[in-house]
Amino acid sequence: MADYRQMWSDLGMDLEKHDILCEVLPDAFGGVYLSQENRPEGMDYFNFVVAEIHGVRPAELIEHQQNGGKVFGTFCVYVPDEIIFAAGGIATGLCGGSQFWVPGGEKVLPANTCPLIKASVGARLDGTCPFFKIADMYIGETTCDGKKKAWEILNQDVPVYVMDLPQMKREKDLQAWEGEIKSLMQKVEEVTGNKITIEALAENIKLINEKRNALARLYAFRKNSPVPISGKDALLITQIAFYDDPGRFTDQLNSLCDELDKRVSAGEGVFPADVPRIMITGTPMAIPNWKLHHVVETLGAAVVVEELCTGVRYFENPVNQSGSSLDEQVQALAERYMKTNCACFTPNQGRVEDILRLAEEYGVDGIIDCNLQFCGLYSTESYLVQQALKKAGIPVIHIETDYSEQDFEQIRTRVEAFLEMLEK
Amino acid sequence: MTTSIDSFSGIREIAIMQLKSFKETGGKVVGRYCAYTPTELILAAGAVPVGLCGTSEKPIPAAEEVLPRNLCPLVKSSFGFAATDTCPFFHFSDFILGETTCDGKKKMFEIMQDIKPVHVMQLPYAGFEHALEMWTEELRRLRRHLEDQFEVKISDDDIWQAIHLVNRETAALKAVCDLNQADPPLMSGKELLSVSWSRSFSTDVEEVIMMLEELRASLTATPSSKQAGLPRILLTGCPVGTGTEKVIVLAEDLGANVVAMELCSGYKTLSLQTDTSYDDPITALANKYLQIPCSCMSPNQGRLELIQQMIKDFQVDAVIDLTWQACHTYNIEAYKVGQLVRSLELPYLQLETDYSQADLESLKVRIEALLEII
Ligand code: SF4
Ligand code: SF4
Repeated sequence: MADYRQMWSDLGMDLEKHDILCEVLPDAFGGVYLSQENRPEGMDYFNFVVAEIHGVRPAELIEHQQNGGKVFGTFCVYVPDEIIFAAGGIATGLCGGSQFWVPGGEKVLPANTCPLIKASVGARLDGTCPFFKIADMYIGETTCDGKKKAWEILNQDVPVYVMDLPQMKREKDLQAWEGEIKSLMQKVEEVTGNKITIEALAENIKLINEKRNALARLYAFRKNSPVPISGKDALLITQIAFYDDPGRFTDQLNSLCDELDKRVSAGEGVFPADVPRIMITGTPMAIPNWKLHHVVETLGAAVVVEELCTGVRYFENPVNQSGSSLDEQVQALAERYMKTNCACFTPNQGRVEDILRLAEEYGVDGIIDCNLQFCGLYSTESYLVQQALKKAGIPVIHIETDYSEQDFEQIRTRVEAFLEMLEK
Repeated sequence: MTTSIDSFSGIREIAIMQLKSFKETGGKVVGRYCAYTPTELILAAGAVPVGLCGTSEKPIPAAEEVLPRNLCPLVKSSFGFAATDTCPFFHFSDFILGETTCDGKKKMFEIMQDIKPVHVMQLPYAGFEHALEMWTEELRRLRRHLEDQFEVKISDDDIWQAIHLVNRETAALKAVCDLNQADPPLMSGKELLSVSWSRSFSTDVEEVIMMLEELRASLTATPSSKQAGLPRILLTGCPVGTGTEKVIVLAEDLGANVVAMELCSGYKTLSLQTDTSYDDPITALANKYLQIPCSCMSPNQGRLELIQQMIKDFQVDAVIDLTWQACHTYNIEAYKVGQLVRSLELPYLQLETDYSQADLESLKVRIEALLEII
């Protein structure tokens, strides 16, 4: 990474601690990513973004602030970026994906909390991530018990605006969510000092839809056999989608897709055509959590689709662009976001249907249902997921893990056995 | 015959027999798991509400065949009873009234649906703008559901009657619990729990009110048998019932008095009365229930205020905050409760445990250490 020490110190970060992170990250990334063979050239851009993760993009955000703009940190795929961009703000995903931040979170949170939440809180309180320092305001939501209560603590250190996400999907819940989007709109207008116009919202609905379309295009290539891009690379791209500039990201991803297009026509792939095709479902994998993908792909199987927030939940269902008033646009947003099927909803039959559909579309041989430790939602729902998959005759294993490397070998052994069974 | 504390411990057994004959004559029973589900509406429908929260370790292994191990023991125990059909109250229930208090229960109800019909109420988080409106609507939906299920008509008057009844019961129980403000307290923590937990099984609210009033009279008539000057403990946190009172037992064996409990069966609900000056009974109920300061609410300032008030009223020397393992809302809120109690310069101890007896020794050591610094 280039030298951004002045910027980091201006942000009030803990430079010494941050140095440790800067030291290990290149190795970690190199070991997991750069060792892959036959990667598409278009990955260069994404490699660069990761290599400069705490430099280039943070510098852009700071520049935006110096020009009077505001930055909003988000933690969930239900929070509509469109609203934030339409008010001239920038939305950036903040979910922490590294064990490095966990001890910092444990200073105020119980050890028995989901690592994603602990890492997120730790990254802020320890001052070891520029994004967490830069954001003027965090937008939280009431998805799960852990996050809901963590906002109260984080709010002592940084303003957190919380959206009340319904827990059911009846007509009136959809309306309630519409109301929540309107309240968010007011809040964002107040913080940015900009009024959201119909034109600006239309433009940004389009902007984010284009990002979704590009991701959908990427994922569609993965339906091919041999698969032209590794699961690890696809995951990385999706993770970057959460915080990169949306327009630039879309352009870069589209040119990568052009390359993949050629690969597919030439029948070229990154794995032999006959390797097991794996779907991963469960809790989000925030950057730099690449653990499970790395295990699967170094064992010779291909991850071809993720039914995750860092996967299809992020980009499926574009927003209807025909709204001609703010009310209609907000309604279209509410409808789109409420189509996403997270385990925080009850009932959540839609997720099981999604998994079955994706298994078919992507020609999946086996499914790994993986949740972070202490996520009561996904771990409980796993029963229903496994039940449905057994009925459909699709092999599945359930893995519970955290951000540490301690269980790496154990997971490897279990996945290995699973793959052997698939090959039979 | 005067009512003693012992008469309460028998309620559960009697209730089972009464429910059995009640069911045989066509009576309706609704099982519930949470202080937010309105007993008043169930009573107004002519049905009997029964509390189903599991307080035994026994059915947990059966639950773990379906649910993750890493889940609150209360949820696992409750589900285990249902799955093994070993809880007569679950067995007698015509349907289950669930709610979305916490992640664990919310998802557990989806699976429980295969065993018995479940009607889930979506509980909003009180701090939010539309919470009251949403909860009012959920109560109306429950009213319609009860009417459909039991083929009855619930009039506003029926609901008002039930409201008056439950208000009286709450007041009667609070009057008993308030007696412990005295030093020495009139009841031990175990006795307090036995009264407040057991009465919830009764099928006859009028009778419970009478028993509570008699108990209060007899307790005030005789001098306290308890020792004065012992450390006075306030217990707060996750729900406790007979069978899961190990922290109370440990603290009292170590020479403390658990004088008050900020729990679901204690002051968390006792200080609340439905305001009868509203025109619409449903609005009145919604207003009451949303004031329950459970950690599932966000923010939950009400709990901090209640704890502070209780510390004063009960001249509390130390606070024990009990968290059932994997209950994220209480576990995380402990940070704020700890902040508050320490700011009042009182010792604070958070204990995270489950229903097993495996950690008794370590709990004992920690409670001992707490009592030493008082
Ligand atoms: S993984 Fe589960 S517990 Fe963690 S933030 Fe997501 S929903 Fe919450
Ligand atoms: S103790 Fe906590 S996790 Fe358990 S049922 Fe109650 S709120 Fe849910």
